Amino acid sequence: MENKNLIHPAILPIAPKPSQYGIDPSLVKTRVAELPGMCSLKLSELFPELPDVIFPGGEGALDKLYELAKDEIRKVDMSMIQPDQSVNVLASHHGFTLLGGQPYAVLLKAIRDVVIEKTGCKNIRLRAGVGMRFRETEEYIKRYGLDTYYGPGKAKGVAPVDEGIPIETEIGTLYGIKAIYDADWIIHAHHTDVREVHFHRQIDKAVKPFSMSYARIESRSTYHQNLGPRAANFTARAIFESKFVQSKFAFGAFLNVGPHGVIGVIADNNLYNINDRATFIGCQLYGKVMTLFGKIDECIAVLDFPCPVPYVFSAGVIYANFTGANSDLYDMEGTPLPGYTWYTEAFYGKNGKPLLPETPPLNPAIKMCVHNYAWTGYPSAFFSEHIPTVVVGAEQAKLFDTEPMNIKYMDHATIAKTTEGAMEFAYNATGTDKVIIFDGAMGGLNCSESLAKELIEKAPAVSKEVEEVLMPKWFRQRGVDMSVLEKLK
Amino acid sequence: MKRVTMNAVVDQNLCIGCKICEKVCPVYAIQVTNRKAFSDDQKCVACANCADRCPQHAIKMVERAEIRELGVDVSKFDPKEIRALCEKAHLNPEQILCYCTGTRAEEVAACLLGGATTPEEVSAQTGIRTACTIECIQPLLRLVQAAGNELHPDPNGWRWYGVTTTAWEIPQEVKDKYNSRGFYFDEDRELLDRVVKVGADKQ
Repeated sequence: MENKNLIHPAILPIAPKPSQYGIDPSLVKTRVAELPGMCSLKLSELFPELPDVIFPGGEGALDKLYELAKDEIRKVDMSMIQPDQSVNVLASHHGFTLLGGQPYAVLLKAIRDVVIEKTGCKNIRLRAGVGMRFRETEEYIKRYGLDTYYGPGKAKGVAPVDEGIPIETEIGTLYGIKAIYDADWIIHAHHTDVREVHFHRQIDKAVKPFSMSYARIESRSTYHQNLGPRAANFTARAIFESKFVQSKFAFGAFLNVGPHGVIGVIADNNLYNINDRATFIGCQLYGKVMTLFGKIDECIAVLDFPCPVPYVFSAGVIYANFTGANSDLYDMEGTPLPGYTWYTEAFYGKNGKPLLPETPPLNPAIKMCVHNYAWTGYPSAFFSEHIPTVVVGAEQAKLFDTEPMNIKYMDHATIAKTTEGAMEFAYNATGTDKVIIFDGAMGGLNCSESLAKELIEKAPAVSKEVEEVLMPKWFRQRGVDMSVLEKLK
Repeated sequence: MKRVTMNAVVDQNLCIGCKICEKVCPVYAIQVTNRKAFSDDQKCVACANCADRCPQHAIKMVERAEIRELGVDVSKFDPKEIRALCEKAHLNPEQILCYCTGTRAEEVAACLLGGATTPEEVSAQTGIRTACTIECIQPLLRLVQAAGNELHPDPNGWRWYGVTTTAWEIPQEVKDKYNSRGFYFDEDRELLDRVVKVGADKQ
């Protein structure tokens, strides 16, 4: 490929957001993408076979998405919902971190409007679940005006420590959040973004929130402690398959998201139809970016996004997955334990080494991490313990030092006064000028020119490898018939 | 081991006595009396659950004047007894249970061998489950139960409801039904068993 034509000026990163989990946005003085030597690659140029997107898409893109969402949702059977009944639209925090958050908010608005239009039902509530930051969706509900859109008292953030409800499943009693299920019907509003491949391994990704954002602590702990790294997501299927959940499930409505933007909207009464689509998107589209990232031989990784450390994005891939990109995260047989997942972290002994010697290390290509801007609210000390980390600004360091989940994060990290100083230190200490920036740049990825050239060079071979070698293996391991891909086209 | 650097402080003017803070506190550090919540500085483990679930935003986390340290000295207990208890719960003594505080199974086992009988007592002494309060609840309950204690969730709280299924208990018919969809049940159980046994030969 011709390098020059594919290298563009850096894309404007996602702006810092006011939140109790991050420093005041005014303290973020410099974004790394603004520094000399940084550029961007467009994913649609790196992988020309990627489908077209609606968003990002210039002025009017969100309006277009709203109309398209309504068209798709109208196709779903809603005859089970009676005008005098209640409906909970179930949302998750992660959707609001995608592409600035507006597309997911648009989907949530479209669902409400079409349910009213088709059923005459007026009692429609929004229940937005969280991961470990219990106020996070409360912040999003206000930021995107969902409290006023759904009406007074109708939109609510829920947390895993809230009152629970037992759910009888094929593997015994598990527990959901009571407020999630306190309506006659539930609508599962989600997306196809892969996010935590290290946890769900692209098995039943579309079902996962039933064991996470909609679930109590007991179910989440079952996932992350009781079943094992590859059986974990069965917790989600067990809950979703329960008579209780099935008796309330109306339909799913998903943003069809790729690493480069919103492709469309998928709505279906059968969640497993959506799940098949999500599996293909996760493996085919995201799988290429993940595999490409795994080919990077050395770099400085920059965190510069309003999310906790593991969840900052670059080209649709989260930092947590980059720390495990030295293994094939989709390979169920070759990678029982990735370099990073909670089971892996649990299995490190007191000498700082894995209990099982075959455990891969955190991605050795990451020579240093420059933490320019990222949030607390997720236990992240494992990363700073194993990857040399420089945090920009004393205020940010202090925030981590006083946050219960990150008391030990700064035990292993050092502090730089400025972004420029942190980068200079990283260049000098590592000897590499290759930089990858996790700043949520929409439609592409921000990086140094040196890394851009390497990625351009490697992308075509990666695309071929994923299509011809890896995808057949990944689908076989998941019991998915490759021919379904043709039907989905 | 956990360093407690913060404290919950209640704004009495905003508190409406709804008791949600009580129900989500993992160590009974906050209680409502006469429709007002009071947090005990000597018991608070700074998980911030009360502050984050208060509907009135009446509770703030503030820095403590003096840092409090939680932890149980594992060296005071017989390593064989610790291992036996951990293995009974299908855990390796060195395995980390709490991703937030780094608390290992051996410390929880030592705490139980030292006389603790409830998850709340173990949390207060070791610091386990005093940050996110989510992910380590199952291994904590498993260990408390393995030590011979009965589990009785507090009917007036939402701290925890009960133990759930583990890799060792999934019914064969469930495995047969779903194995082909990519759940590696038996392979994961084998992996977990190998972890449990690491270091056993040294004792």
